[in-house]
Amino acid sequence: MNDLMSGNEPTMIGVSERTHPLLKRLKDDGHFSEMADAYRFGVALALAHGVQPDEIVGTRQTVFSVATIDPDREIATAVNAILGDDGSSIYRRVERLAEWGIRELARHAEDGEIDFASLLSAAARLVEDGDL
Amino acid sequence: MKLLSLSMHNFMPYKGENTIVFPEDEIRNVMIVFGDNMRGKTSLLNALRWVFYGKALGRHLREIPLHELLNKEAAMESDFVIEAAVVFEAEGHRYELRRRALKRPMVAFPSRPEDFQVSVGLQKDGMALPGHVVESEINRFAPEQVSRFFLFDGELLQEYESLLIEGSEQGRRIKEAIEQVLGVPTLINGRDEAETLLKQFRRHQQRDLSHVVGLERQAEKQAEFQRRQESLENDLAMLREKLNQTKSERSSLDDELEKVDSIHRAKTRLDHLRRRQSEIDKRLGAISVDKQLTLRSAWKDLLQPKLAARKEELYAEQTKMTALLAEKSALESKRDDLQQMLNEDTCPTCGRPAEESKRYEAGKLLGEVEAKLRRISVDYVSLGEVNARIREIDRLAGVGAASRIRALDEERARLDVELTKIENDAESLSDQIKGVDTAEIARKRVLRDSLLQEEARLERDVDDRTREIDKVKRELAIIAKSLDDLPQARAKRSSAMVKVCMAVEKLFEESIERLRKKLKAEVAAKASEAFAHLTTQKSYSGLEINDNYGLTILDENGARVTVRSAGAEQIVALSLIDGLARTGRAAGPVVMDTPFGRLDLRHRDNILRYLPTTTGQLVLLVHDGEIRRESDLAPLASRIGAAYEIKEVSPRHSRIERVHS
Repeated sequence: MNDLMSGNEPTMIGVSERTHPLLKRLKDDGHFSEMADAYRFGVALALAHGVQPDEIVGTRQTVFSVATIDPDREIATAVNAILGDDGSSIYRRVERLAEWGIRELARHAEDGEIDFASLLSAAARLVEDGDL
Repeated sequence: MKLLSLSMHNFMPYKGENTIVFPEDEIRNVMIVFGDNMRGKTSLLNALRWVFYGKALGRHLREIPLHELLNKEAAMESDFVIEAAVVFEAEGHRYELRRRALKRPMVAFPSRPEDFQVSVGLQKDGMALPGHVVESEINRFAPEQVSRFFLFDGELLQEYESLLIEGSEQGRRIKEAIEQVLGVPTLINGRDEAETLLKQFRRHQQRDLSHVVGLERQAEKQAEFQRRQESLENDLAMLREKLNQTKSERSSLDDELEKVDSIHRAKTRLDHLRRRQSEIDKRLGAISVDKQLTLRSAWKDLLQPKLAARKEELYAEQTKMTALLAEKSALESKRDDLQQMLNEDTCPTCGRPAEESKRYEAGKLLGEVEAKLRRISVDYVSLGEVNARIREIDRLAGVGAASRIRALDEERARLDVELTKIENDAESLSDQIKGVDTAEIARKRVLRDSLLQEEARLERDVDDRTREIDKVKRELAIIAKSLDDLPQARAKRSSAMVKVCMAVEKLFEESIERLRKKLKAEVAAKASEAFAHLTTQKSYSGLEINDNYGLTILDENGARVTVRSAGAEQIVALSLIDGLARTGRAAGPVVMDTPFGRLDLRHRDNILRYLPTTTGQLVLLVHDGEIRRESDLAPLASRIGAAYEIKEVSPRHSRIERVHS
């Protein structure tokens, strides 16, 4: 039985208290229509960059139910496929990836606009260049 | 008639005293006055018009109110005297005509025509003539009706084009003006008087016949048609008056709207920009929503490179496992064959009994195959897992968000640039129309359009009434003929008078037609002669005149040239003016304001060579765009008797100076 099937997975996930306002801002500034969209994008961005995220520092703020963020368990599948199974909780890893990804998106948003097309193209180049 | 000098005092832009002296030499009879637009060329023409006829004309031939003739700077300095004086020679006498407008004593600042008192004085050989003969004396040499041909505004050339439109109301009015010049009205007045008498005697006749037994019905019928004719004629007169009024109101609105045309255009453009701005705003909103929707699934695109790499690994694993499985299957099949051969002692291929040496080899081979099979271990669970993982990754297919988002970003950037430009343009247009009542402009535009429609309706009504009057006249003629056949009717004096009046009217009518025919032939011949000198297209054979005095060019085969350029229109119009001027009066002075507007160099040269030969004096008021002083005057050099230039002192003050003699 893998982690997906285990009973140790959280039912609610989120980000740190420090990152939560950044997530909210991504929605409020119109970059995403929902916070959940920004959350998923953040997770994928971190995975694309091959980030091995640290544990979340400080208080964790739960924002979504797992069923909302990953109703078809696609994110879990992607994490498992790309990072492999290290025996830990997949959705805790998802949280850590989201923490990094959202902060990265917030950094890009500092210029006012996030160049999503470039972010998407850069992800492809990272693999082609063998950076990861 | 020969003009000698013109003096102006505070007349329009000419502040204080300004005098020009006309060339008197018969050969050097051309005077050129140069002046930029808005400097006072037309005011010079108007000074002559005002001194001769007491009126100055603005756009669309509308009279300029007297108080607007006063120089604005002079008015600011409380100098309220307007004066123009012309000295001319005619029939061996020297005349000095002076017109003066003075502010009335009780008026502080004149702002209406009534605030001025106008006086006119004419001296003949130094002797003042009595006031009541001034007008008739002027009309002997320069009748006002003819003035449009010798005080000539180039802008009006276009009017003559309407003569070609058969039945147009404007054409009819110009035709009347032309016939006025040519003397046709004398006969027309005669015909009209005969017609008035005819109506009068018809009424007598009706009274007489109403008492004759058996003719009452005829009399009643005639009376009815006559009443109908009078009613239609009154109607026609009213319609014509209404039409003139409507035209005047419409042209006045046209002038007002022309002044604010730039404002109207700015407002229209601003409205268009605002609509575009709103469209762009909507599209930007839609782009934003579209982008957000695309981003909802875009996270999968971010993972595609990694997932593809992972899938490659899984495929490699799957291939390895599948190959092992195939190898195991082949070995198992081989093992089964060898075992069968050893058990049955026959060759599995040909079925013959196996030789001993062969059995030995088969046993050895079976041992090797069994050893290999023991070494091969296939993990079916792992293979299943690999296959499942490949399927899971396949579920995470990308959505192609990058290209879609790039396309949306590019469109948004383009629209942002357009929006910025629109905002800048809108700001500048808003500044332009700030403080202007655009609603009032819109109201006037709608009003003008409705007046135009009314004009068209009135013109149709005028045509209808004219046709109806002709019909009634035909009916009356039939009745008159039938009465003439009846001895009881013929015996009445009134019937005899009706007959005489009808004959006189017919005589005038025929005379008018004969005179018109003769004049038209003369005008056509003279205009054709002028045209031959003025046109650069020598293959044209001449001009054909229509009932309205409209002229059509004939080609070398005598066929009508139906399509002609704006320049050709102007040449034809100038030919007509020259033809009319020479048919209607003796050669005298001609003053032309901006006559070369639409003409090319060769046509202009032709005019400059030809007109001095047909006029007593030719005064050309031109701007630099029409004539380049240094080069274009060469063909005319030997005929120029004087040249003046209008110089700007201030926007409201011009001075005229002699530059060449």
